[in-house]
Parts: sequence; structure tokens; C-alpha cells
Amino acid sequence: MVLTSHFMKIEGTHEIQAPREVVYHAITDPQILQRCIPGCQSLDKTDENTYVATMKAGVGSVKGTFKGNVRLEDMQAPTHYRMIVDGKGAPGFVKGTGIFNLEERNGGTTIAYEGEMKVGGVIAGVGQRMIEAAAKMLAHQFFKTLENEIPRSEAGPVNL
Amino acid sequence: MIPAQFDYVRANTIDEALALLAQNEDAKILAGGHSLLPAMKLRLAMPSLLVDIGRIKDLAYIREENGGIVIGAATTHYQIESSDLLKTICPLLPQCAGHIGDMQVRIKGTIGGSVAHADPAGDWPAAIVALNAEMIIASKSGERSVKADDFFVDLMTTALEAGEILREIRVNKSTGRTGQAYVKMHHPASGFAVVGVAADLSLTGDGKCERASIGITGVAAKAFRPDGVESALNGATLNDETIASAASHAADGIEINGDLFASADYRRHLAQVYTQRAISAALRSVPPA
Repeated sequence: MVLTSHFMKIEGTHEIQAPREVVYHAITDPQILQRCIPGCQSLDKTDENTYVATMKAGVGSVKGTFKGNVRLEDMQAPTHYRMIVDGKGAPGFVKGTGIFNLEERNGGTTIAYEGEMKVGGVIAGVGQRMIEAAAKMLAHQFFKTLENEIPRSEAGPVNL
Repeated sequence: MIPAQFDYVRANTIDEALALLAQNEDAKILAGGHSLLPAMKLRLAMPSLLVDIGRIKDLAYIREENGGIVIGAATTHYQIESSDLLKTICPLLPQCAGHIGDMQVRIKGTIGGSVAHADPAGDWPAAIVALNAEMIIASKSGERSVKADDFFVDLMTTALEAGEILREIRVNKSTGRTGQAYVKMHHPASGFAVVGVAADLSLTGDGKCERASIGITGVAAKAFRPDGVESALNGATLNDETIASAASHAADGIEINGDLFASADYRRHLAQVYTQRAISAALRSVPPA
């Protein structure tokens, strides 16, 4: 079986009706991130801004369990940070970097994201035609869940 | 590769199948297996239990009922392709079926299974949305009906909830001066639709377009009806110019798939060209006044 890897870029914007500080806190908080990342079952801290994650991710009938690392870097609250992801599972692997920039707009926040990913293994070889659409769908799910999390997080950061 | 380990059970009735799904979170329905099994062999899908409904006799049928057409979800693509009844009262369906995969796939694969799998490049969704079909869904709490436009939700995602089974598909008979066609650009290796367009037209007494219904697959994350094309055609006199002009709206406002074979820009162009061809072919198939 031929194993390939495929580079892709993904970018977009998403508006959230909440102050920038609140949004920035939400997307850098591991407890909120764990609920927003589609299929993320656990996100456990291993080091400063470094986490190990398990995800049961997929689209429709195609689902797989992925284990990986997530690291947050270059954190400039409340405007910018970078997320580095490295995950592997039976369907393949994903290595990527995503940059998030937050801007204030009309009392809300615009999140501009751009990411580069290397996708490899079976999903890259056989599923290449769906990778872009799948990535967009998962990104959309992430932001939709984030929107629902924001009102809860406005109560303030939770320290356990 | 071979599939990961799984259990297999053959359900004798839909109710049995529903009960099995309810007991097993990781179970999947098996009908023809020609979407699911290839995914399982690659380990892209790893259900722990397959519930086989492919042999349930009263799930495969094509008949007229209550003034319309009802098709059992386990009806094979081949049964639809070769149905003399459908060739007369809804030729879009046999035409579309004939474009699916190859003969081996068409003999085993089912319309219900294919539609529930909702591959963004599958052929059925284009016809299903163009015909404004009604999807009958069975669950332990009874049955519900979902319109085609609401059935395809996102990439490989339908309105089917966990534990539900698509049981029947209902479409209207084509009456009056109607013409239908399905045209497709086959991917040279996989045969999937790079672009597939279904057109269902009805003409007025004086030859104008009374109603146009178009379904496009392969272009976006799910099949869709291009509003811009339909509204340009409704009420218009159909000739090469008006058809080309209408077809130019095929991908308006749509997030277009791009992949190694066809970039988003190329696909937009293909959508316009194939929409034009589908409308022209449907027009040619309208019986003379």
C-alpha cells in the first residue's frame, strides 16, 4: 500500500460576540479547548503550555482514535498565539501549526486563523479528495462549540 | 489490509436491526457494503458490530403508491437502473443509477446505504435533492420524514441520528411535459463524480420553463440545489443562451472542494459546464407537444 503525505493550508475567520480578552482566555484554556476540539476525550498537561491529547475524530462513517501532543507558543494575550499539533492514529497522522490572531470588532472579536498541516497515512492517500472539506468542517465545529462555551467562561477563569 | 475485528449479525426485520443498534454504540448497519466495507478494509471505519439488513425482503421494492413513487432503502442501484417502471415515470433515477461505480458495485450497493453514507462525490444525492425526495427514517420511537434539502447536512453527515435507519425514499412521478437528465464527469481512476448534475425540468404549454430543479454533487461538502440557476430558468424561454447564462450561477455562494485532481477554480468551471449540459439534455428528453 502506498503511503503518501499531503500538505495543506487552511485559513479563515470567525466572529464571536464577546470581548477579546474573554475569547483569548477561552481558546488558550485547556479545559475549554478539550470541550471544543472535536472528539477530544482528554487534554492533559505535561509541561508549561504543553498537553497530551486523545481524540476520537472523524467524519461520518470514517472515524479513528488519535493520540497526540498540543503545544501553545508565542502567547501574546489578548491578540495572538500559535498552536502546534502532532497526532497519530490508525487512519494516519497529522502534524500542523496554526496561528490565531484576534481583533476587536463592533464589541465582538474576530478570530483570524491560518494553519499549515501535513497529513499522512491512509487518509492522505485514499481520502485526499476529502481532506480540505473535512478540515473545514472540523474547524467549523471547533468554533461553534467555542461560541457555546464563551458565555460560561465569562464567569471568570476556573482554577482547580 | 483486512478489517479490524468485528462481530456480525443478520437482522430479519427492521425492528430487530433497530434493537441491535440501540444495544451497541459501535454498531453499523450493513446493506450492500460497497461504501462501508472498503472503509473497513482500510481501517478508516472500525465498527465492533455489523448489523446486516441486506436480506430483509420488505426493504427492497419499487412501486407506485398514493400517487407517487416509493423505493425501499435496500433497493440496489441495479434494480433501479433496470426498472422499466422508473424509466417511464421517473427516468432520472435509472439514469443516475447507471453512472454509479461499475456493474459489481451496482448489483450489491443500495440506494439507502449510499445515501446514508453521503459521500460528497456520490451520485444519488444529486438526484435526491433535484427530485425533492422525502426520506423516511425509522427509529425505536417510530418513523419520521425528512425532506431531501434537510437530509444532507454536511460532509458525510446526514440527518440520521444514532440508532436510526433510513427505510424508504419517496419521489413524485414526473407528469406533463417533463424532461430529466443526469450528467457526470467521472474521475478517471475512481469513477466518482468530480462533478455530477441532475436536472428535472417541466415546460409550460407554450414551451417555456415552468419549473427547473437542479442537484449538484461532487462540488461541495454535500449535494445542493443551485438557487441562482433555478430562478434564472423558471419562467424563461430555454435556448442555448438562456441555458448558458443560467448555468453560470451553478457554484454561486458555494464553498467549493479543491483536491489534487481538480482545484476549486477548475471545479467551479466544471459545475457550470455540466449544469449547462444537464439542462440541455433534460430539455432534449421532453416528449414533443
